[in-house]
Amino acid sequence: MRALWRYLLFRTLNAAIVLVIVMLVSATLFNDMMEKIVRAEIDEIVKQQVKTIAQQQQLNETQIRELREELRQTYYHQYGLDKPKWYRILYNSWRILTFNLGRATSMTSSSGTHEVSDIIVEAIPNTVLLFTTGTVISLLIGLFCGLYAARNPGLFFDRFISIFAMVTYTLPMWWTGMLFIYLFAYKLGILPSGGIHSIPPPKEPFAYFTDLLWHLTLPLATLVFVSFGSFAYVVRNIVLGTFQQDFVMAARAKGMPERHVVYKHVLRAASPPIVTMMLFGLLGSLSGAIITEAVFDWPGMGRLYWIAVEMNDVPVLLGLTFVFTFIYLIATVVVDLIYGLLDPRVRIGLMAGGK
Amino acid sequence: MSWRGRSRLREFIQSFTAFWHEFFRFKSGVVGLVITIVLVIMAIGAPFFVSEEAYRNWDNPSYWDTYPHAVPPAWIGYVTGERYAPQTEVVKDIPPLPTQIVSFSFLYNCTYDHPPSDVIFLIESTHRNFSCSLKLRVERPDGEEIVVLHRKYDGGLLRILFSTDEDIRKSVWEWAQKYEDPETVSKILANPEMLSFIDIPHIVFMKKGYGMLFERTGVLEGTYVFNITMIFSEIPTPPPGFHVRAVFTGAAYGLMGTDARGRDLAVGIVFGSRLALIIGLLTAVLSTVVGVLYGIVSAYLGGWRDELLQRIQETVSSIPVLPLLIILAFVMRPTVWILALLLVVFGWVGPVKTVRSIAYQIKEETYVEAARAVGCSSRRIIAKYISPQILPYMFALIALGVPGAILTEAGISFLLGVEGVSEPTWGRILHDAQAAGATMAGMWWWVLIPGFMITLSGLAFVLIGNALDRILNPMLKR
Repeated sequence: MRALWRYLLFRTLNAAIVLVIVMLVSATLFNDMMEKIVRAEIDEIVKQQVKTIAQQQQLNETQIRELREELRQTYYHQYGLDKPKWYRILYNSWRILTFNLGRATSMTSSSGTHEVSDIIVEAIPNTVLLFTTGTVISLLIGLFCGLYAARNPGLFFDRFISIFAMVTYTLPMWWTGMLFIYLFAYKLGILPSGGIHSIPPPKEPFAYFTDLLWHLTLPLATLVFVSFGSFAYVVRNIVLGTFQQDFVMAARAKGMPERHVVYKHVLRAASPPIVTMMLFGLLGSLSGAIITEAVFDWPGMGRLYWIAVEMNDVPVLLGLTFVFTFIYLIATVVVDLIYGLLDPRVRIGLMAGGK
Repeated sequence: MSWRGRSRLREFIQSFTAFWHEFFRFKSGVVGLVITIVLVIMAIGAPFFVSEEAYRNWDNPSYWDTYPHAVPPAWIGYVTGERYAPQTEVVKDIPPLPTQIVSFSFLYNCTYDHPPSDVIFLIESTHRNFSCSLKLRVERPDGEEIVVLHRKYDGGLLRILFSTDEDIRKSVWEWAQKYEDPETVSKILANPEMLSFIDIPHIVFMKKGYGMLFERTGVLEGTYVFNITMIFSEIPTPPPGFHVRAVFTGAAYGLMGTDARGRDLAVGIVFGSRLALIIGLLTAVLSTVVGVLYGIVSAYLGGWRDELLQRIQETVSSIPVLPLLIILAFVMRPTVWILALLLVVFGWVGPVKTVRSIAYQIKEETYVEAARAVGCSSRRIIAKYISPQILPYMFALIALGVPGAILTEAGISFLLGVEGVSEPTWGRILHDAQAAGATMAGMWWWVLIPGFMITLSGLAFVLIGNALDRILNPMLKR
């Protein structure tokens, strides 16, 4: 067990290093832009303060200028703008790594605040909702189709799945979304083209839920359509490979019924690689989902990217990069752990205290 | 050529023909190869297929003024069986005349189900020494006459666009009110913003009657006369001549239609193939070469150095590429070449694991052991004994690496498609389509064709890569 903990610790450490690297790179990239934003903010505050103080104390021109300069220097000091560049980059990275994401320049959350964390936090559940349901459905369909194809290799369905997987692999998910919108929302008019609920959203809970489902259908269908083919293909290949193993031949030679062979022997042996392949596929399609959300106007993290880019909102972009990387890395560690636990070779190696 | 060189050449040709024979057994690989060849021809011959000048003016709105906006491809008529007005341009040179009234007219024979999407007059005078009042009248086949424009003209270049000119909009709307259902008219008068949805150039070509504002009455076929009259307060000296271009923009245009700004999509898509291929191939070649070398060296060195190299590879491969690329592209606004390099920075880790395991097997072969025993240097063993075994497989890895690079580039251009900074890539055309709401406006050509090209080029390389993988993968051979 100790080795397992050590393995986990190593993976977490690795993830932490990646997170720090990503944040350092982004903070360096955005440094000049961020600085400009902070300076503008300070100027605005100083202007206000000087105005009120000047009115109260009846200051003359030179006094006002001195006061302005003095206030500005205090704020520059407070925000670390008088420090060298490398210090500010480190400071900014640290600030974001400690979940202090700052204020957006122009975007607001639905409750009206300018806090980047508010804006992102309200988007995460929507991304999770669309993404997890989509992945679960495509995994199930993929598993079913892959198994069926592997049991009947060379038949029409098997060939169809192979070709379908190859085509959908090169299909950009977001473009497929655009096509689906054209087909189902514009041509047939049976599904909404975007958004998460009607405007205004229905008040009654049940109606609200069905409205949500209705809006979820099209993005979900896109996600499933694009991803289940590759899953099915992977399952087919792994299961087909397992069928050629000696122990399957032995089981068949014993006269074991075919159904038994498939479910008790083949599937059991093939499940660890299938699960891990699927988990890694899941991580891979997370990025595709980012852009797809923008197409469906789905109010998740992906659409935030689109809006932040359009509005040039650097703090939001920086915060999004951090949060996305954070979620992605947690998922990577979990996937690695599951991989370690499932694969007997890795597991036994770990238990035995090996590497 | 020396004897040895010649025999080597013969050997090479022999193995090449053998490979070719094997490759031809894979139908899908051949299909992929054919698609790739077509794409390469398209990329290299782009200036021969479409205008390079148009490509360079992609982000220059005034260049596309006289093109129809948001119309389907010209072949649409063969599919729907309806008649679409083609792009028509008439040029007239009016010689200088010492008269007080200069008048000329353009005839347009409209026999289409879809009338021209716009009517444009570009009038240019030879001198600017006058001031006149210019009147534009449209005589319709049903005897109706609409004075669409009455404007002061002081010489120089005058552009009259039916689709956007406020005065024309007003006069056509006033004319149409006489024949339209009074109920509809009062409804529109109550909501003046409804007017902006009415397609003025189309109304000019509609039959009179209820519903004409919404183009329900059908097109009035026949010959339309566009009269332009200029009345001078005094005869200018010297009398000016005029160069007049009348453009009846098509209801359908070109091979792939136009976007909302009138840009010929065929131009962007044909030239886009260059960028897609450059990005895809450059990224795939560079990252495969780096990754393969890294894998071989890691396997050959073994021990703690192998361990270290593997940890580095794992760290790089767990970086979420897309968010980082988005901000890199957002801040740096990279050119195609830089973007390809950025993709290599994250992409080289792809083939490392596979190559390392193959190299490990080769390393254990007796001939490598023998080479080592004889005292060959590490560099020689890697270069002459291990690499040649893996080299052919590299081509499969390269082909399989292309689609990912093309897809990533398209995704980034789609998300960040900022004009004027990057060239018109397929992803950027789709960005513009998305930003203009093309899907819900029914502009299928704007969405369908660029995305189809992305998928097609990705698919071509997957097909080739899979075939090459079956032939060249040393793991499958054993």
